[in-house]
Amino acid sequence: MKGFPRFIKAFLFLFLFVFIVFPFVPLVLSSISYGWQWPNVLPESFSLRAWEYVLFGSSDTLRAIGVSLSIALIVTAVNVVLAVPAANALARYQIKGKWLVEAILFAPIVIPPFVAVMGIHLTFLRIGLTETILGVVLAHISPTLPYVVRSVIISYNTLSTDWEDQARMLGAGAFSRFYHVVLPHLLPGIAAGASLSILISLSQYLITFIIGSGRVVTLPILLFPFISGGDPAIASAYSLLFAAMAIGTLMGLDFALKRYYRNKKTAAGKTVEE
Amino acid sequence: MSQKIKPYLLLFPAVAAIVLLFFGGLFDGFLKSLGYFPALGETSFGIAAYNDLLNSEAFWDSLAVTLRIAALSSVIAALLGAAMAVSLFMLQASEKGRSSRFWQRLFQLPLTIPHLVGGYIIVLLFMQSGFLSKLAASAGWIGEITDFPVLVNDSFGWGIILAYAWKEAPFVSLMVYPVLARIHRSWRDVSRVFGAGNWDFIRDIVLPVMMPAWTIATFIVFVFTFSAFEVPFLLGVTYPSVLPVYSYQLYTSGTLADRPEALAVNIILAALTVLLGLVVYYFSKRWNVLKGWD
Repeated sequence: MKGFPRFIKAFLFLFLFVFIVFPFVPLVLSSISYGWQWPNVLPESFSLRAWEYVLFGSSDTLRAIGVSLSIALIVTAVNVVLAVPAANALARYQIKGKWLVEAILFAPIVIPPFVAVMGIHLTFLRIGLTETILGVVLAHISPTLPYVVRSVIISYNTLSTDWEDQARMLGAGAFSRFYHVVLPHLLPGIAAGASLSILISLSQYLITFIIGSGRVVTLPILLFPFISGGDPAIASAYSLLFAAMAIGTLMGLDFALKRYYRNKKTAAGKTVEE
Repeated sequence: MSQKIKPYLLLFPAVAAIVLLFFGGLFDGFLKSLGYFPALGETSFGIAAYNDLLNSEAFWDSLAVTLRIAALSSVIAALLGAAMAVSLFMLQASEKGRSSRFWQRLFQLPLTIPHLVGGYIIVLLFMQSGFLSKLAASAGWIGEITDFPVLVNDSFGWGIILAYAWKEAPFVSLMVYPVLARIHRSWRDVSRVFGAGNWDFIRDIVLPVMMPAWTIATFIVFVFTFSAFEVPFLLGVTYPSVLPVYSYQLYTSGTLADRPEALAVNIILAALTVLLGLVVYYFSKRWNVLKGWD
């Protein structure tokens, strides 16, 4: 009986190595290589040239990161504002034609959003929304909003109206009921939805390219010419940076949420002590 | 009265955003696929674009390659994802489960990697002068660069399939794992009383339990890979290209005459994904995948 878990562990370890670690090896090596001829398994010489170029060589990188992050954050903030009331209605009210509302809200999960974006492109062009951040933000809403709505609905489903009724009985107004009772309960769902929204927005290429027409330069737009046949070292450094940005943003959100709860807990503890 | 309309007011902003930005775009695209371009003075409707498309070999080649890539990627991702989920589950069942959460996190790493980066990882690994080719040469298995099979920018689409399998296997495992986590420890004990070994347990209990969620996850991967653009744009060939790339090629070809055709490709693509989506929805409701059992 003992042998099985060890076998599984060995299998998992091998799987993990082949699947997770190994694919990143050439990416990392290539980003610090200075010439890497076939059939050498390791680059002939190492250099931080590509990283220097990517991080300090031009101001493009920092600007692209800034543009990517601001678009992702604006899109996500808008999504949260739109999604919380909608999720409230879907989770707690009797609605006629609920299936239709759900079909509308979740349609962009199934139908590829670039179809809608290509369709609306000429209209955006006419009203001057192409080549603008605002246009790109609007284009990023439909691929991301459904995921935020979904996550917040799940949170609403586990929140009983009794809590709000109790707060109402204690004299809390609508705003403080929402702020002190509903919002803390929804936060994990909002955070999960926001993570997805940020991740999806950060990795959009086609939609940004169509609406931004190459003038709104997010990191994927900057990255693409390099990875489709440019300098492999620079392409690798950009790829690693791009992946780090996505993972870093998610970890940041996770961290912020954990800290919020820790503060909440200590604050609650203090009030009890008093 | 206000209580009656309140939920509709709450829904209005989100629904309006999607209707305007998404369905507006779909409708806009649909009108243009029928040749309706008021800005160019074209105000008549016609199905010429659809006719041309359905009679062109390029469209059918593109559809075939799209189906092949989506089918192979989803099946490979499904097998890998199931292997991950089952081994994680068995690890969880065999010990207290602290370390299995760590493993689970690690396995989800490819999920957070953007698709373009995933695609580039596949380029570096699998191109003819790539890392695997270098390893094979050092091991003496191949003598020339050209001995290594063409797996990236190949007309079959292996590069795309590999990239999707790598990216989506963790997704399948993420969908399947919560269902497996509902298998009680006691079931394992009972099966042991009846003399079932680990493999019997996997075959007779674990696999049947995960089957519905697994099938749905595979379908979702299929629908996604059917309609995604970035990875095939990077790893595919110009001809035959998958439907989203084909539409993009038509749209950016420079001649305005191709635009209705590009938008017609999009509308057909949207219709197919809706159809596939309905299939997923029907079976997930019917099998109660998302709720599990009690």
